Amino acid sequence: MSGLKRDWNGNTKRRDGPKPAAKPVVRNAYTPMFESLREELDQHHDRRERIVKASRDITALSKKIIFSLQRVRKIESQLPNNIQSEVDSRLADISKLLASIAPEIQGINRYRYSRSLMCLEELVEALTFAHYLRTQTLIGHAELDPTIEDLTKKGAVISEDEPMADAGDPAGNAEKDEPPAVNVPTVTLTQDDYLYGVFDLTGEMMRFATTSTALTGKMASGQTGKDGGDDEPRTIVQDMHELGTFFEMLPVGPGNKFQWEKKLEVTRQSVQKVERLGYDRVIRGSERPKGWIPDLSSGDPGQGEEE
Amino acid sequence: MAPPLIDPALFDQLKTKIEEDTSVRKELDQILDDLNQHVSFTQGVLSRIHSTPRAKYATLFEQVEAGVKKEIETVGRLGAFASQFPYYKYNHKWTRMVQDAISTVILTTWLGGLSTESKTGELGRLLTLEDIGEVFNAPVNLKDRDAFHITIEEYLLGLISVIDDLSRLAVNSVTLGDTAMAVQISGFIKDLHAGFQVLNLKNDILRKRVDSIKYAVKKVEDVVYDLSLRNLIPAQETTQ
Repeated sequence: MSGLKRDWNGNTKRRDGPKPAAKPVVRNAYTPMFESLREELDQHHDRRERIVKASRDITALSKKIIFSLQRVRKIESQLPNNIQSEVDSRLADISKLLASIAPEIQGINRYRYSRSLMCLEELVEALTFAHYLRTQTLIGHAELDPTIEDLTKKGAVISEDEPMADAGDPAGNAEKDEPPAVNVPTVTLTQDDYLYGVFDLTGEMMRFATTSTALTGKMASGQTGKDGGDDEPRTIVQDMHELGTFFEMLPVGPGNKFQWEKKLEVTRQSVQKVERLGYDRVIRGSERPKGWIPDLSSGDPGQGEEE
Repeated sequence: MAPPLIDPALFDQLKTKIEEDTSVRKELDQILDDLNQHVSFTQGVLSRIHSTPRAKYATLFEQVEAGVKKEIETVGRLGAFASQFPYYKYNHKWTRMVQDAISTVILTTWLGGLSTESKTGELGRLLTLEDIGEVFNAPVNLKDRDAFHITIEEYLLGLISVIDDLSRLAVNSVTLGDTAMAVQISGFIKDLHAGFQVLNLKNDILRKRVDSIKYAVKKVEDVVYDLSLRNLIPAQETTQ
């Protein structure tokens, strides 16, 4: 038996014994005011708690999507079937979560909880990466917003269709009372969500460039002859340069300059790693045995932070 | 030709947005500089309560009220400008200063200043969040629309600063021979302390500041103890 408590005289205290009556709260002139403020603060804390929970799950799912995408070996318009289905099933989970928090982050509450919504950055990273692997282009903020909106709406519909699937989902249940899909609240991306997501995209592109080059013996690039043009297709080295220049040319984001500089520095390093890959390919591509992976682990502060 | 990696329009759009954001922040900073100046002035004048006997508060309040008037004007300007943008996007820039402005108003009123036709100046009147909203002509605890307002947290944090200030005043009022003031402050702070205990706090700034109230309580209790030990507490107060 553990945790036996004894009183001053050494007699055991019984935990299930009658508890002393709860001390009545001393009331004074100000108690009612504080009680009403407590109600309000509790609502805020509970809402934040729900958002944080969903956010953590969305982050984890987004990371899993990214891992799946890192198993892709080349840029082509269709992701391999097995990977596509992995991504789809994760996205279905994400859309349910998005739908559950969407009503909580409408209007004034969007920015109130933006620090609890770091998951959106991660989701942007996953979605932009998938888009890049399919089209070799960077999806714009304006095109990404409807994608997230669709996801949220889909999630809302799913939780209506199978109300028993997640009984612990208060927002899903609340939505059943409303007419379906007419005015479903959706999740919107802020400028920062988008930009910081794209910053992280450069890290994923670097990783993709490294593994795909090592395993296929070719620098990842667009399809040859797809458009009938006789130009060499663009390689990922050029894309990384383009993206690096993009961020160098943008004015520093005014919100959190420190974070911006840090992300920019990581981006610079990613660009240089891919540059190095391009150089290696040109200078000794033919000598290198297939499957050999250049050691890029040293001087790589970006890695630790990502995982 | 394959489409370029980045649509040039995307860059322009992002650049414009960032530049807009920067200029909004610059304009906010200008308003906040003004507000800071008025709040500091008012706080400075108010700090004279620690060396001014209660009988001479009236002249002191004239100066304080002039400062408060400027605070109210500037908060009005801030509200008009800030309401054009998502409230919580920039709220962190002004929340400290608004808290300080709130506490100057709460303290002055508690000491009997800032009297209006309906509410005459008397010692010990606590302004509620709604009263503060009225003073600053700003909505409070806004939930249904996205505009400038005064939040619950700002009010409570402002109130905690007042508690700190009053605990100091309890000591100084005894020095000035005003023991009744010290006793009244003691009662007020204890009541507020009990009030704050009612809240369910999370591990945030409010929790940290609320935890500090107990030191103010102790400081004032020590003063009252010293007084009672020497029979210095005015008769009508001890019977309570």
